[in-house]
Amino acid sequence: MSVRVVVRTFSELCITVGALIVLFVAYVLFWTGVKADSAMDHQIDSLQSQWSKGAVAVQQPQQPQPAPTATDTGDDKAAVDPPAPYKDGKPFAVMYIPRLGFTWNKPVLQGTGVDILKKGLGHYAGTAQLGQKGNFAVAGHRRTYGDPFKDFPELRPGDAVVLTDGTTWFTYRIDTKPYKTVPGDVAVIDPVPRKSGYKEPGRYLTLTTCEPEWGHSHRLIVWAHLDATQPAEAGKPEALRR
Amino acid sequence: MYGWIWRHLPGNTWIRALISLLLVLVVVYVLFQYVFPWAEPLLPFNDVTVNN
Repeated sequence: MSVRVVVRTFSELCITVGALIVLFVAYVLFWTGVKADSAMDHQIDSLQSQWSKGAVAVQQPQQPQPAPTATDTGDDKAAVDPPAPYKDGKPFAVMYIPRLGFTWNKPVLQGTGVDILKKGLGHYAGTAQLGQKGNFAVAGHRRTYGDPFKDFPELRPGDAVVLTDGTTWFTYRIDTKPYKTVPGDVAVIDPVPRKSGYKEPGRYLTLTTCEPEWGHSHRLIVWAHLDATQPAEAGKPEALRR
Repeated sequence: MYGWIWRHLPGNTWIRALISLLLVLVVVYVLFQYVFPWAEPLLPFNDVTVNN
């Protein structure tokens, strides 16, 4: 085999590897977003058609009301009548965070598996349900798959996190700046999250994503408390009106 | 490598070019559909949860 053939083959291999890397970067940066956006739209569509058919189990007539405080004794209706458990891998709510963009809305699915997080935000199994006592914890991608939590560090105390399950709007208010922690710190999704500043049981929300933006060495966390609820028929809550 | 493929394609230059293009498209399709979805979870961008 002549030197010429060896050099030529080596060059061709280098070009091939280079092309592969460029394609892979294009896939990660661009194509996963395209796929995730269409998957998320699909999830939201399926939720909305489900809701419009009235498939939501319990229609609880509620008036706009301030959320029960942390010192609430637990004699309210929700405690008496716990909602049905969410189906694993299925969407059950839509989340809106005006700080991340007026049109920012993502489906929330049950579970935090890799495949679930490709289709939307993931609700930690074993944490409280929407609006219930305890901690409603949700994870989302910072980068890739539609970059749902790209602007996570912009979140500030007082920002609204609004969710709807088709019957009720839940408005949570963020209480902390993004808190950086290590991946093994599961206490951040405890019913009363450690380091959150909350001292008593209440209706909390936790959002988690990765930190740094393209890495996985740490996690960013924000905590919020339930500020208000109103029935879906009452229209969008104040936080979503322009 | 590429020269070897080119020499073994049938037809004249235009037909070979067309077949080459199709081959490239097939390779890209297989990569995007099967290979990259397999490789992507090996990267760190999927770790967004806290767990043990």
